[in-house]
Amino acid sequence: MTAHPPVAARRPRPGGRARRAVTSLAAAAALLASAALTGCAEQRDDGVYTVLNSSTDETYHRWDAEAMARCGKRLGVTVEQQSVPASQVMTKALRMASSKSLPDVVQFDASEMPVFAEAGGLVDLRTLGLSTDHVPDGIVDFGSYRGTYYGAARSVNTLALFYNKDVLAEAGVRTPATWDELRQAARELTRGKRYGLALSAGGAEDGVFQFTPFMWSNGGDERELDSPEVVEALDFWKALLKDGSLSRSTVNWTQADVNDQFMAGNAAMMINGPWQVETLNSDPDLDWGIAEIPVPEAGADSVAPLGGAVLTVPRTGDEDRQRMAGRIVACLTGEKEQLTYALNSWMVPADERAAAQWRARVPELDALADQVAAARSRTAQVGAGWPAVSLALQSAFQSALTGQSSEAALKRAQQRATSGN
Amino acid sequence: MAAHAPTAPRRRWGSTVAGLLVLAVMLFPLYWMLNTALQPDSGLLQVDPVPPGLDLSGFTKALTDQGGNLLTSLLVSAGAVVICLAIAAPAAYGLARFGLRGSRTIVFGTLITQMVPGIVVANALYTSYVDLGLVNSYAGLMLADASLGIPFSIVLMRSFMVSIPGEVIEAAEIDGAGPVRVFLRVVLPMSRNALITSGLFAFLFAWSDFMFALTLNTTDDVKPVTLGIYQYIGAHVGDWGSVMAAAVLSAVPAAILLVLAQKYIAAGITGGSVK
Amino acid sequence: MTTSTVTAPPSDAAPRKDAVPDPARARLRRRLIRWGFVAPAVLFMLLFFGYPLVRNVVMSFQHYTPKTFFTGEAPFNGADNWSSVLQDALFGKALWHTLVFTAGSLLGQFCIGLALAVFFNRRFPLNGVLRSLILLPWLVPMVVSGIVWRRILDQDTGVLNTFLDTLGLGGHTPWLTSPGMALLSVILVNIWIGIPFNMVILYGGLQEIPKELYEAASLDGASAWRAFRSVTLPMLKPVITVVLVLGFMSTVKILDLILALTDGGPADATQTLGTLTYQNSFVELDFGAGAVVGNVLILISAVFAVFYLRANRTEGK
Repeated sequence: MTAHPPVAARRPRPGGRARRAVTSLAAAAALLASAALTGCAEQRDDGVYTVLNSSTDETYHRWDAEAMARCGKRLGVTVEQQSVPASQVMTKALRMASSKSLPDVVQFDASEMPVFAEAGGLVDLRTLGLSTDHVPDGIVDFGSYRGTYYGAARSVNTLALFYNKDVLAEAGVRTPATWDELRQAARELTRGKRYGLALSAGGAEDGVFQFTPFMWSNGGDERELDSPEVVEALDFWKALLKDGSLSRSTVNWTQADVNDQFMAGNAAMMINGPWQVETLNSDPDLDWGIAEIPVPEAGADSVAPLGGAVLTVPRTGDEDRQRMAGRIVACLTGEKEQLTYALNSWMVPADERAAAQWRARVPELDALADQVAAARSRTAQVGAGWPAVSLALQSAFQSALTGQSSEAALKRAQQRATSGN
Repeated sequence: MAAHAPTAPRRRWGSTVAGLLVLAVMLFPLYWMLNTALQPDSGLLQVDPVPPGLDLSGFTKALTDQGGNLLTSLLVSAGAVVICLAIAAPAAYGLARFGLRGSRTIVFGTLITQMVPGIVVANALYTSYVDLGLVNSYAGLMLADASLGIPFSIVLMRSFMVSIPGEVIEAAEIDGAGPVRVFLRVVLPMSRNALITSGLFAFLFAWSDFMFALTLNTTDDVKPVTLGIYQYIGAHVGDWGSVMAAAVLSAVPAAILLVLAQKYIAAGITGGSVK
Repeated sequence: MTTSTVTAPPSDAAPRKDAVPDPARARLRRRLIRWGFVAPAVLFMLLFFGYPLVRNVVMSFQHYTPKTFFTGEAPFNGADNWSSVLQDALFGKALWHTLVFTAGSLLGQFCIGLALAVFFNRRFPLNGVLRSLILLPWLVPMVVSGIVWRRILDQDTGVLNTFLDTLGLGGHTPWLTSPGMALLSVILVNIWIGIPFNMVILYGGLQEIPKELYEAASLDGASAWRAFRSVTLPMLKPVITVVLVLGFMSTVKILDLILALTDGGPADATQTLGTLTYQNSFVELDFGAGAVVGNVLILISAVFAVFYLRANRTEGK
């Protein structure tokens, strides 16, 4: 039920909230007056195009609305957005498919897109004229399923190690780069109510997203969950917990909770993503830094997960509308819109040219940009089988962190993941 | 220890003290909710047992954010109560007095309805709602929320109406009143307690609904406060003051209603079920 | 609840007295009016419960995948869904958790609710005020209660552990974070939520018991406990059944509370049939499997209802 990583909790700016409240009040009043009996029209309006996304939060909703207004103006249509919680996008979209009331554009979390694509619900974006010339191969793959490019990303994100500069300086601890250093640093930074490290091992996609960099950097693979490399990665988590460097509540935390703990001073370091930066910056007293996620051995590559949402065009059956939807997606993922969106949301633009400009504008997130370049997509190997793998993995690390042996837990996970489909 | 009317005044006040203790334990979570709401700046660590001052900024924020959703909840719940009573009261009367063939089956049916998980209902309803244009509408959510209270209300009011003395109804019928008139003029006024109790239950069921609101809406047009808070916590996890303030606000309307209806409830529930 | 009450014989004789010229038409008219009272409710229940129930049963025999939403085709696959769900180790676990959760919740809610009902049945100052206030937990939407409790029970920063710590009782209880504790914690929260409902109804039942019975009992020299056992409990029986039956049916299928508190975790320790049907359908998108679990839930309730009705019948006659 928790939000998916790339779109997880953000704190809205206080300013724009009143407007929404007023609008909903006005809407309620209007509905009262009109006896409130008719539903929202499900028919498609000429010239009005809808985008289903998970921008339920005020800031993101506003950024998207502004971008859509700009693109709508350029294309001579009205673009409306419908926002539902991230965990609801897939079910909502499926329901809409069954009732033949699909929106013109759906923004999926990239890990969910293959499910919808496999069901035959998406249009190949290349046939709608979208170009991938300036998109790095990794990000094209990220939006592709079985070689077909279904999803265009505006921005991508990944995970990194965030640390509290003051706390580290005070304890004389250097930013850790390897697992041993991380373990050592976390132990030294744990004092009283403060834990050395916070991460999310919650029973949802958040936790799995956070486990992947440890699994992958160690050479593990989601197709073989019971391999020694994956077991070792999980054992590393267990060791952190055993040291007392991680809170036992880790198994209940979402990434938003983790950020919350970090900001409250309950953790000296955390694993989290750039979408938290906006919130982190809301506390002027917090001096934070960012580094690549530590690797098992010095010199090994840090493989982080690629996260983010992709814009897709579902098969509505209306070719003309699909073409226009493609142009809307092209506009929203254009260089300029990408840069605006990335600067707002602190995520890395997917487009190379936009990314270069972004780096110049946000040098403090350089580490993140590097990590994104090497990041790996969760669905590249298992595609639509990801939900099953993810569930099995959640259950495994939760069991292991609460007492079971990593090996037994992962063995069961592998059985579950492969029998599930 | 049961129902002896205690006599010594000291013992009676002793009971009051015991009652206060029980109350303190039961209401502590709610107190804590209010307490956290009044310390919006406390972050995660330091929540004082008693708010140091009256900081209402959490409430102001929650009210701006959730005010509209609270109104939606009120409207939807009120609508659900009206629908629920309009459907359940006549049915309860019909089942209590008309000796229709199949009455027992229908009463048994109401029992079965209680077995169907809400999510099964919500899932099936969506498709039909799309065809009927009820998705994202107040009417749709009101109808769905009414379904939470209808079976319960039928059962409750039926037991109550069974206990209305037959002579009263016969007297009205001798005066030439038809069944509809008897129902409206005689039965309903006599069933006031049961009606209020059913209404209150229906309101509470609708008020706390989350599943239907989540499933039967694809937009934010009709967003009750339960759904609002659920989304709120995802977005404001560090801002516990506002989240808790929103939680407090979500309990207030129901609490007011309960206080107003309190004296009818016990009478309404027992009027029937014991007899 | 229903069938426990003795239905008064319907006074069919009354309307016949004023017979009208055309008796056949009048009778038809009367019958139509009478059914008119009941028909809307029957129709409503068929639409809002009957249809979903049937659909869920059918779905549990279908291969219902994301593709189905596009093609509308969900081929029947016999008992495949059933066998795969029933063989899943998680199902057995969830079933067990559901039974423990239901039994534990009901036991706690009922006993405390009854004790409080008896307590408030006495006369003492401020009784009415206290009794109203104690209903408050019931008014908070379950999702909200879940959120509040999750915060209270937090291992590191929750007020409960802070409190236990001050008392020197070791404030590090992993209420929601250890698989061994989580189910118990969820049960405790559900008991807290359920006490007011139980109390209200049982209190109402107590109010109806004629005071003379107690006077007679005390004349016979019965102790308070004896009076409770020989007067209160038997007189309260119909109400007790109502409370327990309704409580069972709503507890066994609970979902929102667990989602808000633990999301079924940690390590599936609080996974119940309610959360499993949700997870199967909306996380794994295996709607056939979700339907199977939903049907099992309904079946459990139905078995319970049959026992209840049978017990009632043997007693009533």
